[in-house]
Amino acid sequence: MAKKDTVTALVKRGITEAVAEPVADKFTMVTLKKASVEDIKAIGLNEEDAKHLLDAIGGKALSPKKTTVKKAAGASGRAKKIVSYVIPLDERPSVPVITEPEANGKLRKEINAILKKTGRALPRAVIDKLVAKLLGREVTKPKLLEIVSTIAADYDAHLMDPTEACGIVGAQSIGEPGTQMTMRTFHYAGVAEINVTLGLPRLIEIVDARRSPSTPMMKVCLEGPAKVNPKYAEIVANQIEITKLIDVCDVEVDINNLVINLIPHKKELERKEIELENIQDALVKVKKTSTEIVGNRIVLSLDEPGYKKILMVNKAIRDIKIKGIDGIARAVIRKESDEGYVIYTEGSNLAEVMNIDGVDKTKTTTNDVQAIYEVLGIEAARNAVMTEAYSTLSEQGLTVDFRHLMLVADVMTSDGTVRAVGRQGISGEKSSVLARAAFEITVDHLLRAGQKGETDGLDGVAENIIVGQPVNLGTGAVKLAFDYNRIKGGI
Amino acid sequence: MDHTRFEKARIIGARALQISMGAPHLLDVPEGEVDPVKIAMREYRNGVIPITVRANKTPRIKITTV
Repeated sequence: MAKKDTVTALVKRGITEAVAEPVADKFTMVTLKKASVEDIKAIGLNEEDAKHLLDAIGGKALSPKKTTVKKAAGASGRAKKIVSYVIPLDERPSVPVITEPEANGKLRKEINAILKKTGRALPRAVIDKLVAKLLGREVTKPKLLEIVSTIAADYDAHLMDPTEACGIVGAQSIGEPGTQMTMRTFHYAGVAEINVTLGLPRLIEIVDARRSPSTPMMKVCLEGPAKVNPKYAEIVANQIEITKLIDVCDVEVDINNLVINLIPHKKELERKEIELENIQDALVKVKKTSTEIVGNRIVLSLDEPGYKKILMVNKAIRDIKIKGIDGIARAVIRKESDEGYVIYTEGSNLAEVMNIDGVDKTKTTTNDVQAIYEVLGIEAARNAVMTEAYSTLSEQGLTVDFRHLMLVADVMTSDGTVRAVGRQGISGEKSSVLARAAFEITVDHLLRAGQKGETDGLDGVAENIIVGQPVNLGTGAVKLAFDYNRIKGGI
Repeated sequence: MDHTRFEKARIIGARALQISMGAPHLLDVPEGEVDPVKIAMREYRNGVIPITVRANKTPRIKITTV
């Protein structure tokens, strides 16, 4: 490419001519794409310009990272599940400290002072909301006192009483709307023809804490240039979506010479940014074969030629992964008004997707709760259980208070792992024999308890009902005593 | 501190039982009032019932660290 063309190409991408001129002296568009920030700085540009330039032409400033990502993926190799991702302390990104504007801080101080004076308490989230609402309004001190005390009184009125049967209330509040759910709903969730299980089957899936959802799906949010430019979004999508050999090549078996000819589709290769060498690299995995590039095709030959063997290899190589992430069958790019370009995927692999450059790690999610637990931890899993259950219910037009779902998620995650609600999970792990016997497989539980000589402390609800005692909940939990002080004055 | 609705119910219930069994009332009963529960409720409102709630000393939920 001549220098002139390079300059015009750069100007087209929003680079000033003054910057483009010296760059074009040294680089062509092709070499520039492979250049690092340091390379460009060497010809006398400052760092900012260099980065801007690389962003504009295709973000290959990210390339040093990319290679490490590939290595990491290779190292984990065939291990399909990544159990934990522990980033060394010094490599962890620093969390930006959000400093509050001065006005907010002042208002917050005043609110806290009022709360202290009136002897009340509010959680931080409520105060945050109040501050946000009050900003930009003129509120006198007495008025603020009135507002804060009203809120505090309302808040106290909404608190649960001790010993209230919140679990039962929650169970009923989720169960009743659940009966209205359409039994079996498969739905094209409006998201670019990706099929997602919804409704009752999905709710059961969440509550059962299955290993993997029946229709795993990811929403991959993007950052940087990919967020605003569909071209870069597609580059990211191509890195995520799995590309098999059969997607980019015609496979022809040459029986006379006992070789396999791979004839690539040129357009597909270009679209997915795959070189012939990449295909060759992928084929190294096939044992006892060797490949050779002949013209614009790849010829694969066996070390020990044989008719049966060649047919077997022919079958095996079709599904070899050339590019992309295991488990992600399809990626669809959509433009969303608030998020910019977003990639929706069929199939899920959170750990690997988060490693791709251009992916916004803070917003990317999956509907695979177990994967979230493994990659991000138990608190994230709790959050996922809550939001997944909530969105499943509200998608069907059922309104269930979020706090009931919070309780479910809390119970499921309280011991540090995601446990199912039901026989294999929470109900099966109850310490009381009678409670377990009341739930399922009565005889087995009683027999085993008899053999082991278990004792039952009669702490729970089911046990006390069985023996005919007041349950330790609500009024049953209140113990009364004679108030001697009150009577001292005499009746 | 205010009683919870469970505590209220238990205190009024216990007092109403006493009254129904002939315990002396602590306030003057208005003419024609014969319902022990209503009498107990009036006594509760006026804060004269000599019954208090015993604190639950052993927490029902044991917290174990993993």
